[in-house]
Amino acid sequence: MSLQNDPFLNISNSINNEYIKEWQASKKRVIGYYCTYIPEELLYAANLLPFRIRATGHEKTELGDILMVRFTCSFVRASLDLALRGGFDFLDGFLICNSCDHSRRMFEIFNMKVFNREGFKKKVPRFYFSVPHIITEEGFNWYWQEIIELKEELEMAYNIDITDSNLENSIKVHNENRRLLREIHRLRVLEKPKLSGAEALRISVVNSSVPKDITNQELHRIIYKLKESEGIKDLRKRIMFVGSIIDDLKFVNLIENSGALIVSDFLCFGTRNFLDDVQIGGNPLEQISKRVYHRISCPRMMDDHERRLKFLKNEIKTAKIDGVILQRINNCDLHGCDNMLFEHELKELEIPVLNIDREYVQADTTRLRTRIEAFLEMIK
Amino acid sequence: MIDKTKMEDRVIPYKMLLETIATTCELTERILPEQEIPSIKIGTKCFESVLSEAIEKAREGLPIVGYSFAFPPEYLYCFDCVPVCIEAVSYFLAALLPEGVEKYYDIINNWGHPYHTCSSQKGVMAMTLDDLFKFDAIICPTGPCDNSAASYPFFKYKDIPLILSDIPFLHEEKSYEYYGKQLKLTLYELGKVIDQEPDFNRMKKHIEIENQVQKIQLEIFELKKAIPCPVENLFNAFSAGATILMAGRPENYTFYTEMLEIIKKRYKRGEHSGGEEKIRSIWPYMLIFFDFAICEWLEREIGMSILFDIFNYNLTEPINTKSGLDTLFKGMAKRTMDFPMMKQSTQFFDPFIDDCVKFAKDFSADCFIYTSHIGCKQFGSVPQILREALKDEVGIPMLIIELDVGDQRMTSIKMIKNKIKMFANTLL
Repeated sequence: MSLQNDPFLNISNSINNEYIKEWQASKKRVIGYYCTYIPEELLYAANLLPFRIRATGHEKTELGDILMVRFTCSFVRASLDLALRGGFDFLDGFLICNSCDHSRRMFEIFNMKVFNREGFKKKVPRFYFSVPHIITEEGFNWYWQEIIELKEELEMAYNIDITDSNLENSIKVHNENRRLLREIHRLRVLEKPKLSGAEALRISVVNSSVPKDITNQELHRIIYKLKESEGIKDLRKRIMFVGSIIDDLKFVNLIENSGALIVSDFLCFGTRNFLDDVQIGGNPLEQISKRVYHRISCPRMMDDHERRLKFLKNEIKTAKIDGVILQRINNCDLHGCDNMLFEHELKELEIPVLNIDREYVQADTTRLRTRIEAFLEMIK
Repeated sequence: MIDKTKMEDRVIPYKMLLETIATTCELTERILPEQEIPSIKIGTKCFESVLSEAIEKAREGLPIVGYSFAFPPEYLYCFDCVPVCIEAVSYFLAALLPEGVEKYYDIINNWGHPYHTCSSQKGVMAMTLDDLFKFDAIICPTGPCDNSAASYPFFKYKDIPLILSDIPFLHEEKSYEYYGKQLKLTLYELGKVIDQEPDFNRMKKHIEIENQVQKIQLEIFELKKAIPCPVENLFNAFSAGATILMAGRPENYTFYTEMLEIIKKRYKRGEHSGGEEKIRSIWPYMLIFFDFAICEWLEREIGMSILFDIFNYNLTEPINTKSGLDTLFKGMAKRTMDFPMMKQSTQFFDPFIDDCVKFAKDFSADCFIYTSHIGCKQFGSVPQILREALKDEVGIPMLIIELDVGDQRMTSIKMIKNKIKMFANTLL
């Protein structure tokens, strides 16, 4: 039973969708963000739908290229390009943190060139908070304070009151969401996986674009459907997929059509986002902040490589991984250097590794296919 | 009994650097007429002194502490140690060795370091792989860029204790307080690693030297408003090196004091150092480190002054060393956050644009030249906005050159000169 034509998952192919339109029709707002270091629960508690900015299916960067030099990330350039063409005009707010140098600057650029462009009348409030680059007690206190200030700014900008009760309800919805995603993940790492890497990616992408209570209902349905399915029986190399942001199926399909099955990942549209829950009890905003700050990190956290490696090693064992594909979008220094270390560390453990660079918009397909096929052949 | 040669061999690239600087110093002394390019003569002498002492201290067995260029070295003088600036080594050698440091860039690239990361760390990373440096610890802030955040963990992988001070975003009181505490914590942590107690009184003395230097820098900066500019182009390159390698040292004070005297004399005589000044340019970002000779070429062949680059306009306030430690560290935090690149990376780009527009007006600039360095992603969204602001508010153009400031293979000096020449022709 394939999820290929599942209407709910087809949302992953588009930017705006019916659920967003319904949400806004009921006088509720949508707030765009780039990085998963944002406290989603806080936004949801404020009746703000967190929408993760992406450019799925958008293959142009010309307008973005005018404002960003070619050494910058093609994902951010593509999303900026889409924004300049009106692709994110539906947003009612914009939230940025200093996750990486490329997306961080969108705070200023969107203000100057997107939300203030000729003919665009809507006022889109922007919010910014900073996240430390190390995981320490002092760092957490800084981050928590930032989140407290963000809450106040949201309340002021939208004239709302975000109560502890709102936050607690939001935590429940989000914890349930992560529990369901973990359940799907468990079905993915089975000996006969119930879903492919491409399907898992679609679920993850949709999850960031639809209100969570609706997603949760749909995830229940999908889990039921997956459990009923026979699973993928054909023998394929079991791959773990690690690195830069990916929201488009083309690259994943390239791997899976070459004789591999991506049974696990370490991506921000993937495991990194659902492994940890918010603890119940105590100050809900503090607990929300703790989860985001202390969760398994991305390479922007300078002092946490060892924990990331530990996760990889455990997952390689649990998911019976045959090989790891490390990938980065060109010009992503953070993933590029983290992958460099992973490559050496995994090779020391005699785990087959392929380390490749790519562009956000699928290009250079033949080179990539050749390298992937050669890698898969190399794996015993 | 310490084996001094073995101890000295912990900093082999510093020995290479000393040798090249000493040779340059000797050559310029012999070849150049007395009044010509004083910055190179004074600068190399001062660098030679600092490096000689570092090597001597290494011979004595003092711990080798690597530091990021964005960590002011004067703070490290609370310890008896040999401070080694990671970025200065790569770029000084790129500038001074006839074949640059490409060999080392290739070593680390072959090891897996992405080609698009900053060459400023590549050199020392490769030298560490080759056992040419034996660091006891490395200290760095978590800024100014992704590239630093990404590259420095390599040293931890090589089992070198990596001590990080977390730099916050936005210049606010709470940021200075937070970062001040971070600095104090990291210095204590470094003390534990190298088994020394930090001596903050000694550190204060070095900070006070730097306070004096800042005053002189400000004076020189003001003199650059004069037409023609009395400051030679090459001064900017040496000043950049001095900022990251000699801060807090008496040699730094000597360099700026002697330069100020010469600049004042030129100013009084209404002189330009390289013939007729035809174009006044501001380089809001970095100079080209792999070929400092371009500074001379611009001055003599094109008649273009480089009024300043990023290392020569981010001047900071003096640090209060007379009050308690909290005030001291807050001042240190502020200075660090105002440091070149750090300042622009810890705030939105609007103040940077405003500064540039103001500089263009105050210094009567004819144009800007923006070296868009492959490693600097935090500046990747800025050039076009700046170009528009300069055009709209000052009516001057900006040339953008995409390059690697430390590696001539990406954009060769010939290509750079051609671009500048064509650009200059449109201005004359």
